[in-house]
Amino acid sequence: MLHAIPDQLPWWVAGPGVGLCVVALYALANAKLGVSGGWLQLLFVAERRPVTEPWRLWFTGGLVAGAFLAAGLGAGRVSGYGALSRHLPVPLLALVLLAVGVLIGYGARWAGGCTSGHGISGCSAGSPESFAATATFFLVAIVVTVLVHLLSGGAV
Amino acid sequence: MRWSALAVGIVFGFFLTGSGLGNYHTIHQGLLLRDPYIYLMMAATIVTAATGIAALRRRGRTVFGEPLVIPRHPVRRQAVYGGAVFGVGFGIGATCPGITVAAIATGAWWGGLVLLGILGGLWLRGRAERGVGKVTIRRTRRVPTP
Repeated sequence: MLHAIPDQLPWWVAGPGVGLCVVALYALANAKLGVSGGWLQLLFVAERRPVTEPWRLWFTGGLVAGAFLAAGLGAGRVSGYGALSRHLPVPLLALVLLAVGVLIGYGARWAGGCTSGHGISGCSAGSPESFAATATFFLVAIVVTVLVHLLSGGAV
Repeated sequence: MRWSALAVGIVFGFFLTGSGLGNYHTIHQGLLLRDPYIYLMMAATIVTAATGIAALRRRGRTVFGEPLVIPRHPVRRQAVYGGAVFGVGFGIGATCPGITVAAIATGAWWGGLVLLGILGGLWLRGRAERGVGKVTIRRTRRVPTP
């Protein structure tokens, strides 16, 4: 494991880096950066339905490669699943994380995008719908997090 | 297009993972409003991308000379409904479709279950939109009893 990069890049490096990716994808491929759309294309592959936007599979493949590259270069290691894995028995943790995924996937498809498609790309392009979706993502997530925190007596 | 998408995907994955958002703690502390990192990063991302997009819109063409399309949409209700469902998962799991990959890559293998759930959720929403499993109540004609 190398230590070419710190555990956590400063926000003023990681933020502009991600922002430039949005610009580069428009400039090079005329495409709106988004992740959940890539998983949707992967689902089409699994369902043996036609892949409608093949570039998304390439983008998502790149995302996976880039993530492992950063991990190999020294991005902070994580084990378990934060406070959830400290307080939940394994079967319950598995169930909760599956449910978390289902809510995220269901909501992203319903909303027409996730924290990248709406939150980053759509907001940067000044799309009113993306402002509404992103505000909803964060407001609901903050309320849920604070509620869980209070109900669990500060454990989670 | 595929090589551009692959190259940008690699850089995107690198910064997303380098930011440490794959660590539950980073986003969780942000959502508890105790650590401003996620908001500062998001703001820096949007300011950078918005500046670049404004320049691209003036240019009107991609690097390869294609006419550029950067859409804006008026608010539709599903953005808020879907956004609320997404927000519940985002709040409990402190993760999202891209961050899950960062989590897995840095050793949080549990992210694999979230990813499996995401595929399941996308599938379920597809079914709902196609109207599969929707209960239709048919009115049964009353047969007059003699």
